[in-house]
Order: sequence, then C-alpha cells, then structure tokens
Amino acid sequence: MAEMWITMGPQHPMTHGLWTLRVKVDGETVTDTEAELGYIHRGVEKICEARDFTQITPYCDRLCYVSAMTWAHSYVMAAEDLLEAEVPERAEYIRLMAAEVQRLASHLMWLGAFGPDIGNLTLMTWCLRDREMFLDLLQELGGSRMHYNYPRIGGVKRDIPIGWGNRLKAKVKLFEHRINEYEMLLDESTIWLVRLQGVGYATAEDQLNAGVTGPNIRAAGVNTDTRWTNPYSVYDQVDWEPAVEKPTSVKGADCYDRYRVRMEEMRQSCRMLLDAIDKIPGGANTHYQPGDEMILTKAPTRAPEGATGFSTYECTRGVSNFYIQGGGDGRGKNPYRLSIRSPMFITIPYVAKTMIGYKIADIPAIMGSFDPCIGETDR
Amino acid sequence: MNDWLGLHDFIYYRTREGANWLLEGTFLESSANDIAFFIFTLSVCLITFGGIMLSMFMILWIERKFYARVNDRRGATTALRSLWVGENGVTAGEWWNMVPYGLGKPIGAINRWLNKVAGNSGHKHEMVNRVGNRSWYGVTIFPGFFQNIADGMKFLTKEHMVPSRADKIIFELAPFLVISSTIMILGMIPLSSGIYGANPELSVLFAFAIFGIAPLGVFFAGWSSNNKYTLLGGIRSAAQLTAYEIPLLLSILGVCIMAGSFNFIEIVHFQHSSGTWLFFLMPLGAVLFLISMIAEVERIPFDMPEAEAELVEGWWTEYGGMRFGLLFAAEYMRVYAASILFAHFFMGGWHAPFAGTIGSIPYLGAAWLAIPGVIWTLLKAWFIFTVVFVWARTALPRIRTDQILEFGWRMLLPLAILQVALSLVYRLYFFDASALSDTVAGGWTWDLTVLGYTLPWGLPILTTMFWIGLFAILMKDENIVENEERMYHIRTMTPAGTHTAGKE
Amino acid sequence: MVTAVTKEQNAEAAKAVVENLSSRFSDAGVVAEVIAHTSGKAYDFVRITCSPDQWRGVAKHLKNEVGVNYCAMVTGTHFPEGGADRGWEVAYHMYRWPIANVAAHTMTVLEGDKLKGDEIPVEFEIFIPLPAGDTPSVPSIQDIWEGADWNEKETWDLVGIDFEGHVNMHRVLNPHDSPVAFHPLQRQHKIRYHDFNEMYDDPQGFGRKPVDEGRVK
Repeated sequence: MAEMWITMGPQHPMTHGLWTLRVKVDGETVTDTEAELGYIHRGVEKICEARDFTQITPYCDRLCYVSAMTWAHSYVMAAEDLLEAEVPERAEYIRLMAAEVQRLASHLMWLGAFGPDIGNLTLMTWCLRDREMFLDLLQELGGSRMHYNYPRIGGVKRDIPIGWGNRLKAKVKLFEHRINEYEMLLDESTIWLVRLQGVGYATAEDQLNAGVTGPNIRAAGVNTDTRWTNPYSVYDQVDWEPAVEKPTSVKGADCYDRYRVRMEEMRQSCRMLLDAIDKIPGGANTHYQPGDEMILTKAPTRAPEGATGFSTYECTRGVSNFYIQGGGDGRGKNPYRLSIRSPMFITIPYVAKTMIGYKIADIPAIMGSFDPCIGETDR
Repeated sequence: MNDWLGLHDFIYYRTREGANWLLEGTFLESSANDIAFFIFTLSVCLITFGGIMLSMFMILWIERKFYARVNDRRGATTALRSLWVGENGVTAGEWWNMVPYGLGKPIGAINRWLNKVAGNSGHKHEMVNRVGNRSWYGVTIFPGFFQNIADGMKFLTKEHMVPSRADKIIFELAPFLVISSTIMILGMIPLSSGIYGANPELSVLFAFAIFGIAPLGVFFAGWSSNNKYTLLGGIRSAAQLTAYEIPLLLSILGVCIMAGSFNFIEIVHFQHSSGTWLFFLMPLGAVLFLISMIAEVERIPFDMPEAEAELVEGWWTEYGGMRFGLLFAAEYMRVYAASILFAHFFMGGWHAPFAGTIGSIPYLGAAWLAIPGVIWTLLKAWFIFTVVFVWARTALPRIRTDQILEFGWRMLLPLAILQVALSLVYRLYFFDASALSDTVAGGWTWDLTVLGYTLPWGLPILTTMFWIGLFAILMKDENIVENEERMYHIRTMTPAGTHTAGKE
Repeated sequence: MVTAVTKEQNAEAAKAVVENLSSRFSDAGVVAEVIAHTSGKAYDFVRITCSPDQWRGVAKHLKNEVGVNYCAMVTGTHFPEGGADRGWEVAYHMYRWPIANVAAHTMTVLEGDKLKGDEIPVEFEIFIPLPAGDTPSVPSIQDIWEGADWNEKETWDLVGIDFEGHVNMHRVLNPHDSPVAFHPLQRQHKIRYHDFNEMYDDPQGFGRKPVDEGRVK
C-alpha cells in the first residue's frame, strides 16, 4: 500500500492538548512526521510587556495549566533576579512545598492520561481521584484548584493555613501506598511492559543536544537535575534524591524508563514534602498574616533599563527559563521583554522525530511518555 | 438431562391443540397445523431473542457497575462495603442490639472492627475521607438499569450522515452485515434444553459460520467510509479477527470431539451425563476459547481496531445515529453470545452444579433442582462475563496490533492444535461410554482406574491440576539477575515499591 | 540527601571559562565576564558579548572546547530607541552540564560537591547586539546545537530576526498564512488593550477602533 499522510489533530484524544502531528505511514509503520504547534498561542510574551510584574504572575499560571505553581515560581524567581529582591526562608520552604505538591498533581495527571492512551482506562479514575487530594491542598493555599496566583515577588501571598501541614502529612502518607497500588497494576502487567519496552529510544546526549531536559534525560541514566546543578530555593536543605532510571539499552531510554522515572519522582516528592514540613522555619502550625516579613519582603517594583533577570527552574516537564529585561513602560514598572523558554516547545519536535520507524500504535506510547502539555508550548 | 421447563415442546403441542380445537369445523381446518406452526415459531423466536436481548441489559449494567467499582467510582452499586459503612453516612442503625439475649453483640463487634479496618473514618482528616468516601444519594430500585434504554433511545435521535465521498452502497451495507449476523446467532443459542429458536443437527457449525461473517462487514465499514483512520481500523480489525477465528474454531472442535456432537444441546447434555464440566477436562481449550473470544469481540486488551487513543473509534468512526447504536449493541451481543457459549461449552449450560449431591438434600435439593435451567445459563454467562470480560477490560492495557497478530498466530494456534490432539486422546482412550448416565446425578465416564484403584473423576482432576500447576510455574519470574536484557516476558527489574533513587 | 553544587565550585568554574574565552577571543573584541545573579543563591554565570560575525566562531569554541552541550533559549528583542548600534539584540542562554551516555542497565549518579573542573555546571548568557535597521540577521547555530533549531524558528516568527543558514525556516506560533514581515513582538505593533479599565467595559472588543483612527491620511 502506498504511503499516506495521516493528520492526528488538532482535535484528537491522544494529543494531550491542541496541536497537530502529521505522520506519514507505510502500512502501520511511521516513516516521517511533522509537528505543527501554535494553536493556542495567546501572545503571553507580548501581553506581559503591558503588565506590572505582579500582574504577570497569573499569566504564568496559565502557561502550563497542569503545573501552574511551578511556572509561577519560575517566573517569580526571574523577577526577583531582575528586581534584586530577597525572599525569607519560610517563604522559600512554602514555595518548595507548593511546587512539589504541584509536581505530584502534574505527574498524576500525566499518568491519568498516559494509562488510557495505552489502553488502561482504570488509571484515569484512580489518578484523578488521588490528584484531588493534592488539588485540595493547593486550593487552600491559592484559592482555586488550578490557577493559584500564589507566589509573590519577595515571598508568597499568604501563609500556609493552620492544619495544612497535618493534612499534607496524612495525604502524602496515604499516597505513598497508592503509588504501590499503581505499580502493582502496571509493572506486573505483561501487556504494559510489552507496549512500553523497546519503544521510543532516546539517549541522554542526543536529548540534551536537542534541548530536551528533565525526567526524560534522567530516564536515560544521568541524574542531572537543575535543583542541584543550578540550585535554587532550599532544595539543598531537604532530603531527596533525583530520580534516575537505568536505560534499557545503549540506544537510550525507552518509554518504560521514562514512566518509571516519573513514578520515582513522585516518591521523591513525597519524601521532600514530609521533610520540608518538619523543617519549615517558624513551624508548620503558626500562621503569619499576609505581608508579614516572615513570608514576604517588600520588593522594588521598578527595574531600570539594562537590568536583566534569568531563572533556571526544574519544571515538571523539563527545565524552564524566564528571561526578563527591565525598563519597559511606566518607567520600568513593566518589563521591556519577557521571554519564556518552555521545555515542551523543544521536546515535541524532538519526539516527533523519535517516532520514526515505530508503529502507529506506538505513537501515543512515545508521545505520552514524554508528557506533553501544550499550554506551555504555545504560550 | 432435559430441563423441566421445556417451553419449546410445550408451546409446540399447545399451539397445535389450540389451533386444531379453535379451527375445527371452519374452512381453515386443514391448515390448522401450519397456522399453529407459524404461531409456535413466532412465539419461540420471540421468547429466545427477547430473552437474550432483555437479559443483555444485565450485561450492560454489570459492565458499568463492576467497571466503576474497580475504578473506585461513586455510584449506586451493590457494594459489599456499604454493608458496614452505609450510604452517605446513613446506616441501618445498630440493629444487632435488638437480637434477644444479647446474641447480637458479636455482630456489633464485627461491624466496629470492619469500620475501623476498612471504613470511612480511619483517618483523622476530613479531606482524606473525602477521597475514600463511597456514597450515593437517593433511593433507586433498579440502579442504573434504565440508563441503557435511555442511551439506546438517544441514538435514535442522532443524525445519520454519510460522508460525501464514501462508497454509499457498501457504507449502508456494512452495519447490516455485522448486526444481522450477530442477531442470527442468537437464534441458534439455546437458553436451556426447552428454550431455543432453532436446533439443527449441526448448530455449532452453523453458529460459528455466521459468527465469521462479521469481519467482512467490519472491513467493508472501514474501507467505505473514505477516512484514513477507519481504513486503518478496518484493516487491523480484519487481520485480528481472521487471526483469532482459527484458535477459536479449533478449541470448539476440541469441545465437539469430546462431546461427540456438533449440536449445542447434545454438548450440554454430554457434560451432565458424562459427569464433569468440560472446563475441567480441557482447561487449555477453555482459556483459548476465552482469549480468542475477547479478540473476536474486540474488547480490551484486544481493541486496537477501535483504540480511542489513536483511531477515535476505528472502523465505526463515521457512523452516526442508530447505525452506531446498533453496531455498539452488536458488539455487546457478541460478548453476551460468547459468554453464553462458554457457559454451554465448558460450564455445563443449564444444569445445576452438583445436581446429584445437593439434589439429594431433603428440601433444599428439591428447591435447587426446581430452579429453571435458563436461570443457570444466565447466571453462568453473567459470571463469566464479569470475571473475564469486564475484569480484563478494567485491568489491562491494549496490545499493539502486530503483537496481537503474533500472539494469535504463533502462540494460540499451536496451542489450539495441541488441544485438539489432547481431546482426541481423551475421547478415544479415556472415555468410558458405558458409564454415561442421564439421571439427575449424572454419569462417571472419566474415572481413572490405575492398578486397581479407581479415582472418581480422576481425569478431570488430574488435568486441571496439571494445567494449574503449569500456569503457576510459568507465572514465576525468570531469573532477573542473569537475564538482564529485557524481553517481553520478564517483569520489571525492580519490583514495585523497592526502588531507591540514586542506588543501584 | 542530594548535594548541590556549591558556590565556590560555581565561581571557580565560571572564572575558568572566562579565562579560557578571554585568552582565545579577547583580541577579537569578544567580552566575557563573570556576573552574579542578584537574588536567591546569587550564583555566578558567564556573560559573553560578541558581534554577529564572530558568533559562529565563538559558538564552535563553546561547543568543542568549553563543552557547552545545551542550548536552552534564544531571545530576540527589538530596540527602536536603542541607537544605531543596538537596534536589535539576540540573547542566547546555554548551559554546560556533565552528561554522558551510559551503558545499558547502568546509571551515573553525580554528586554536586564532588564535581571538578570541566564537570561543574556553568550557565552562559550571550548577547549579540545588532545594528538598527529593517533586516537584523545573525548566523544560525542550528548545526551546532539541535536545541537551537526551534528556538530560532520562534525568534524569527515572533521578532523577525533572520538566521542565516537556517534550514527549513517556517512559522511556528503564528498561523502559517500570516502576512510576510508580520512579526508581532516588534515594538511598532501595539497591544489593543492596555488597560484593565477598557477590558472591564468592553471585554470582547466590540467597540474597538483601529490604532490610527482619527489620523488624517
């Protein structure tokens, strides 16, 4: 049969977002691919040139809506670099915990979408059920389940509520048992292994050269994690390890390795949370009023022309960077240029290349194992 | 042994008598028998088809509710856990206190223990309880039954669209092929020895010949929709269904060899009169039948032709309205037919289990034997459906098409041939025809006599134990330490919950 | 417990890189300096300023000698009031990370404070100011780091900076049928809604008027 181009998307149950993947198939084998992005390009970078630094934080939540807290944190770090603001230690701990809870929620969302892609519909309900626990925690912090607008330049908006720490501990401890349940369902299922092993090889050096970072690289056997290579916040004071997985072959990590890395990352996040809530300065059961200097320092609001701020952040899907140039409208109240580097924007074309040579049925496996999120891709 | 509820013969004779009596002396007297035959055929078919289709609502209901429970979803379900947890905080109250002489106290203790161990309030925090709380609101008598009827009616209100460049004749023809061939099978399948639509001598052959028309319809649907996705789905489906027809038919051949007949009713009778269900004599064949059937009806884990993640419903993407509804219903009819067939071939059909043993208990036995055979058939079919079809669907991911085909041709086909050979050997050398018995207690044709010792039902017992043992041995992990290269049949290198990051 | 890269390691690695670059490129006018971040842990990074014609040489040196293996970000900025020398600027952000392919079924566990010399991660920021004009252009580094590929596409698409030698340049975020020379992040394109007040009264913009309404044409 002659080769034909199939268009997957932009409306497609598999694509985890709004983008088009055109594949050229010869029977069932993929011979070429083309990724088309930009369907939900909202012009965030341009909009932010007309916004205050504080007004930009909600936009960053909406970049990757599944992992909003980490993106807001990443932006706020860059803004603090630009405005030369300091952050009190308690606020750093709170931000760390919020980011790790968000990482758990994001990975659960990933698994809840990945499982049905492979065919295991049970995972969707299980993962979303457990994600509810963490969304409740984040709702207490930020007020809404998805777009929190929580970090502020110089700290956080409000302190953790009384009892939040206890709820966090109870939920994390329950969740650690639930991860075992997921692994029992998946890792002991031959069909799961058969679908994911041997599919979608990617080596570490190749990925880094192409700009792919984060859990995808750690699945290929190197434990590079921005939280220790370019350290920020208080990650060097809490107890954790980067999650690494041994790749299957010299050809690199397959989908199974990437899946295992994320399961392990969930465990590490649990570990971090339990440690951080014990170590938080001021204790978990004290509540400081919003604006108190334990959780927020007053930051300058204007950045002079020529000042720049840059943040390196380990987002759930890779390394995200914000690059802000000061000196915009309002005599420096707005940024002159705000540039966002999204890990998925680079990963999706790379993944589209990885798929060549495998079958059509492997496309959701490979795509899903790299965990795409189109909100941050298109900005 | 014939079931006491013999509707087939009953209706036959009553309609003949009735027609003859009614039309005596009228000008229709000579054709009274023919009229009677017409009425008889009509009612018997209605009963059979109607019985199967109406009881199919049970299948749909089981699928939804069991599936939901495995997914830990809320819903109006008969959940065992709600016996002690209650529904939405409402319990039956401490009814055990009303048992006289304080005999109810242990029940209360059990209830408290269950609530502590598997209840709602094990955690100190409300938020966690919210996750674990199974509850539903309101009172329903048939929780969720009428949903399916509503679904069916909804399909009637949807638009029927034909894609503009589709091959119109074949586009309309394809669902007809699939649906009508599926419904035709229902006429062949007996619900009991007295309730069936038609009973030709080679009913098994005929039923599976019809069963095999559906792949053709599937392929027509996939091709004629003028859609690359459906084409892919149709081709995958055609390949898969063809590949799995053969192990299916070979396992049925094994059954027919054992039973010595190609007739459904005789196969079921054989199981009773020979003393054991065929499941225990040919577990390999039973498992092959089930796996092939799951592949034939295109359920997860074999539903690659309609994999939503890639092909968005596969070969029936372009159908709307009642065509889609009937195709969907046809898939469930095929699943139901597969379950009933399994019940007939391997689980003794309409015979009550342990009819002889339980049947001889004074009052309970009479009640046991008074249950009509159709109930047993349905119960067995629903049981197999729940335990195999639904459970596999909830727990397993999809297998890729080329892996499905490889599995079918390279593993199931040789095993099916082996099963046929085994059936031949059993029937020829281990079968004692003189011990067939049509009584309530059944016969004992499969006893093994070795060195003067007779092991009653020896052959089925040994066969079952052998295959279970083989299965247990094969289930164990290979040696992971020596066998580092991951192949498909090795489990993960670090078992669940034992991996520590940063450590080897 | 993970051990992070310490400040001393980071400072020493940045200094070593700057020395390497200065010894090679300083007479060509490429400026390399160590700058510290101004918040948080305040680690150092290397800022390089060079001109477009030196860029490919510097890039190849960075890749081959310094060991920069990760091109993270390409940002283009339009400075209509920047003067004749700095009408546009392209900023590259790159990293050097210790990554090497591993053999099958093995993994490399690096510990931050035990890294030495070339293994210590370093962050790079490269500024390339471009003269004012309508056709800013920079040589493409698509063949040196593959990560620059889509970043350059995005920069051209949004800002309008030409990357010479870039293969298969096409629109990535804007629609494929956008007008030629439409690059929204250039400063002459104004955002319609500047103010929340306007959005509050007319959120869907039914009362919008073109930017140049009222101007005598």
